[in-house]
Amino acid sequence: MAGIEELSPAVGPVDTRPPEGEIDEDEDEELDESFIERLWGLTEMFPDTLRSAAEVTVSSSFTMAKKLYSFSRAALWVGTTSFMILVLPVVFETERLQLEQQQLQQQRQILLGPNAGMSGGMPGMMPPAPVKM
Amino acid sequence: TSSSGVVQGAPGLVSVPPGFSMPSVPPPSFPGQPAGETGSPLPNPGTYEECHRKCKEVFPIQMEGVRLVVNKGLSNHFQVSHTVTLSTLAESGYRFGATYVGTQQTGPAESFPVMVGDMDNTASLNAQVIHQLTSAVRSKIAIQTQQHKFVNWQCDLEYRGDDFTSAVTLGNPDVLLGSGIIVAHYLQSISPALAFGGELVYHRRPGEEGAVTSLMGRYTGNNYVATLTLGGAGAHATYYHRANDQLQLGVEFEGSMRTQETAVSFGYQLDLPKANLLFKGSVDSNWVVGAVLEKKLLPLPLSLALGAFLNQKKNTFQCGFNVTVG
Repeated sequence: MAGIEELSPAVGPVDTRPPEGEIDEDEDEELDESFIERLWGLTEMFPDTLRSAAEVTVSSSFTMAKKLYSFSRAALWVGTTSFMILVLPVVFETERLQLEQQQLQQQRQILLGPNAGMSGGMPGMMPPAPVKM
Repeated sequence: TSSSGVVQGAPGLVSVPPGFSMPSVPPPSFPGQPAGETGSPLPNPGTYEECHRKCKEVFPIQMEGVRLVVNKGLSNHFQVSHTVTLSTLAESGYRFGATYVGTQQTGPAESFPVMVGDMDNTASLNAQVIHQLTSAVRSKIAIQTQQHKFVNWQCDLEYRGDDFTSAVTLGNPDVLLGSGIIVAHYLQSISPALAFGGELVYHRRPGEEGAVTSLMGRYTGNNYVATLTLGGAGAHATYYHRANDQLQLGVEFEGSMRTQETAVSFGYQLDLPKANLLFKGSVDSNWVVGAVLEKKLLPLPLSLALGAFLNQKKNTFQCGFNVTVG
């Protein structure tokens, strides 16, 4: 108790301090450090270079992850809108053309017989091997 | 049918706004006269302004608002067009245009004189008269007014020789003030594929005068055309490539001395006549992406054009559509 008085003279008048029997328990509860801070204090056992290297690695990887996230957002937006403007209308139109041609072929097939769907739409009476003149 | 687009005057002159369009007049074909300098006849190289045009036509035009164009041919020689423009950024208006093609026929697809006129609902007039004076000399007079004030008046004379073309343009001459612009062009064929040319612009205002010169070279390959213009005002290089009968590509590089900026654009044109489709797209180094889709709605003589331009950097977008009847 005398040692405590010497080390911390500014604690306050003696009568405000808790009774001596409770000091050990209360010290655990009244310490200014929280749990996290005590765990952090444990890292002070590592050498300084290791600590600074770890700190730089962790902070730069956080920064890189944030940058990568925002870059991929921007890239996805730019890519989607540019694709929409530059490529999509042509794709729509060519697909529509293909569908129309397929429909025409089907109609021709129905109308003129099963072998008439070929190019030129020849009537289905011709033999499969055309004779070259 | 006349295509509405921006027609660039010679550098130094005010460029003509859209709507002021000239029916495309193909260059006259001259019979190969063997009086060439080196023996084999060199072809006429065309005009100085047309050199970059093949590449520029591949690029889409920025469209904004709604435009309805009704073209009506009243006879073989006379054609009338009504244009209604509704726009969010600029003023909406009505424009009446008339084209008269004369009776003097110099070739299978062209006749002279050609008179084109356009009048706005604010009484702004654009007018052009093109006439073939002799078999080698063609002249053009163009006038542009903004309401009642004359903004542009220019006269142009072009001489086509066997293997060269020279042109002189006098722009906004004002004898009272002593101001005006003179532009001289000369383009010479060196070989069937190579052409060199030069341009001299002299402008004068009371108290100041100046001149700008540029040189131009053009090389025409099997399915490509490369053109380079270097001058006091900057550099301009274009490359046009025809990949197959459906796809045409264009690359354009422009650098300006005045603003110290450079820009590269890449454009392509996809032509699908089976689907009645014409698609033009472009990507720019200023992060501008744009496309124009033109579709003929065939049983009727209608054509629909949809355009969209997106500036990725500034995040601004413009779209518009045109309907053309006739």
